[in-house]
Amino acid sequence: MTEQELIYGLRNGEESAFKELVNRFQHKVFNTSLGLLQHHTDAEDIAQEVFIQVYRSINNFKEEASLATWIYRITVTKSLDHLRSKKRKKRFGFISNLFGEDNTPVVDAIDFNHPGVQLDKKEDAIILFKLIAELPETQQAAFILNKVEELSYREIAAILNTTEPAVDSLLQRAKQNLRKKINQLPP
Amino acid sequence: MPDIIPNNRTEKILSGLDGLQKDIAPDFFYTRLIGRMQNELSEKKNRLMLRPAVLTISLSVFLFLNIVALTKLDHQPQQIKMQQPGESATIQSFANAYNLTAESVYE
Repeated sequence: MTEQELIYGLRNGEESAFKELVNRFQHKVFNTSLGLLQHHTDAEDIAQEVFIQVYRSINNFKEEASLATWIYRITVTKSLDHLRSKKRKKRFGFISNLFGEDNTPVVDAIDFNHPGVQLDKKEDAIILFKLIAELPETQQAAFILNKVEELSYREIAAILNTTEPAVDSLLQRAKQNLRKKINQLPP
Repeated sequence: MPDIIPNNRTEKILSGLDGLQKDIAPDFFYTRLIGRMQNELSEKKNRLMLRPAVLTISLSVFLFLNIVALTKLDHQPQQIKMQQPGESATIQSFANAYNLTAESVYE
């Protein structure tokens, strides 16, 4: 099924097209979301939300970018939104608990262990993921798309709606910030 | 020499994601996704029933029907009084009117 046929099928509400879309993109969406959220359950939850969003707004897809770019963009946006809301909950958790709004505790991601990390790099990867989470959102997104999803500068630029030099600058700044943070770590 | 060690450590940590293998979505992802979509759809229907507009319209219709029923009932006893001037409705007259005599039952 070509991309055009897939889009046509989705617009006509064909279940087979939706199944094909999920089969084609589920791992990409999940892996990106996992890199950003560093939490398996949250990543699955957001991946599901991404496909629901795609299903609902396929008629608004203008085909200026490829379907993959559009889906990656939704994934990054949803993942960053989720991180923001998690931070907000954590910040106002005490007040919310006082008013009994939401009693579910916000748990910090402790020592995220990505299953794809090489055995000899496990400890370094844990530290690195922890520091990536402290980066500004755009740097975080660019770094994860580049290192975890292995996307090119051009693809990242299309997803983040920016230019290739801007992506290069984002990645340089991300690495610079990470270096600073690593140097500040206790030996 | 002391300068090289921290730099080595920095680069070592920075390369922690080199050679990373992509993770894959959990098993039955599609089934769970479809389940969630169906749940959200039924919840949406329930939510529609609880919308303020739907509730207001339902309440208005309910009140309107009650008012109509009350006004109709207000007029009914007067009509009965007019139909039966001075005539007392006994059980016997009711039974006669509908042919519910003891014989008719056993006939």
